Amino acid sequence: MIGARAAGRVSVGTAILALSLLAGAAALTVVAVRGPGRTSALQDRVHGVAATLRCPVCQNLSVADSPSRLAQQMRETIAAELQAGRSPGQIRAEFVGAYGEWILLSPPKRGIDLVAWAGPALMLLGGLAVAGVAVRRWTAGQREEVGEALSHRDRGLLEQALSKIPEEPEEVG
Amino acid sequence: MREERDAVSGSHPSGLDPTAGRHRRRRRGLTLASVVVGISVLTVLLGFGLSRDPTVIRSALVGRPAPEFALQTMDGSQAIRLADLRGQVVVVNFWASWCLPCRVEHPALLALWQRYRDSGVVFVGIPFQDRSNAVRAYVEELGGDWPELADPASGTAIAYGVYGAPETFVIGPEGNVAYRRVGAIGYEELAGQIERLLERSE
Repeated sequence: MIGARAAGRVSVGTAILALSLLAGAAALTVVAVRGPGRTSALQDRVHGVAATLRCPVCQNLSVADSPSRLAQQMRETIAAELQAGRSPGQIRAEFVGAYGEWILLSPPKRGIDLVAWAGPALMLLGGLAVAGVAVRRWTAGQREEVGEALSHRDRGLLEQALSKIPEEPEEVG
Repeated sequence: MREERDAVSGSHPSGLDPTAGRHRRRRRGLTLASVVVGISVLTVLLGFGLSRDPTVIRSALVGRPAPEFALQTMDGSQAIRLADLRGQVVVVNFWASWCLPCRVEHPALLALWQRYRDSGVVFVGIPFQDRSNAVRAYVEELGGDWPELADPASGTAIAYGVYGAPETFVIGPEGNVAYRRVGAIGYEELAGQIERLLERSE
């Protein structure tokens, strides 16, 4: 009985500890997910622009994803320009003016760059066409084989019939 | 289908149809040709892609007006506006104390600054991703008395499309970017650019 009571008290203590740990973890998760300070619409808009720009001092990392100081300063620049009332398109155009189209993570949908956009779809269509033709050819062959596979009874009848025909001399020419 | 084939093989009991063979050969030739063409196109594209240095970014600024800047010197003693330098050749050098090629090019900058400082050429240094005490130590060590401008939040570097150090921009008297060098600039190279712009402005 005493052991059970002690165990009960311990479990209440553990429960309180566990609950407070859980509450702490939940609070931390909220902070981690929401980021430091308020997640404002501005931050989302900065992210929207930064995610389309290539970080100049990284290897294939967007300005949004890079932890480098220059990328951080670029995000500050973007935030300042957004607050000054510039549109994401205008800001992107400014970066393109300074860095060239290299700064854009996805190529613009015009000119020779269209190949990068249309190429994969065209190749997929081409591959599907080739596969379709191949499948049709294979199944056509199979259909012929099925046609040739006569039933036992049919073959018997055929052989019977053939045996009744006298041998013909081979036709020449 | 089957009847047709039977009819054909009926007229050619040996089973050899010359036109069918020709068709088959032509189709095989076409397939082979398209495979060869496809592989060559891919090879050329791959060769082109591999022979290009992905770290070299062509500047979108050459031939266009240089982005304006109005910056304080590192010691805060002086403010420099690019607009005030119209009519002069301006050499803007983005550099950093942590950058080895910057040390390599420094003697050339120093010599050219001494050669042209009184002939309508302005040198301006803008430290890129650096600390002010490191900048001061570097300049004390290697010399050079042209203004070093503090670039808060790298705003000017970003406006110039700088992605590393060193980068050197030569701006003509009319305010357009005439030349841009990524990496250490050479003495003859920079001297040639300056001479060209000075001649043009005369």
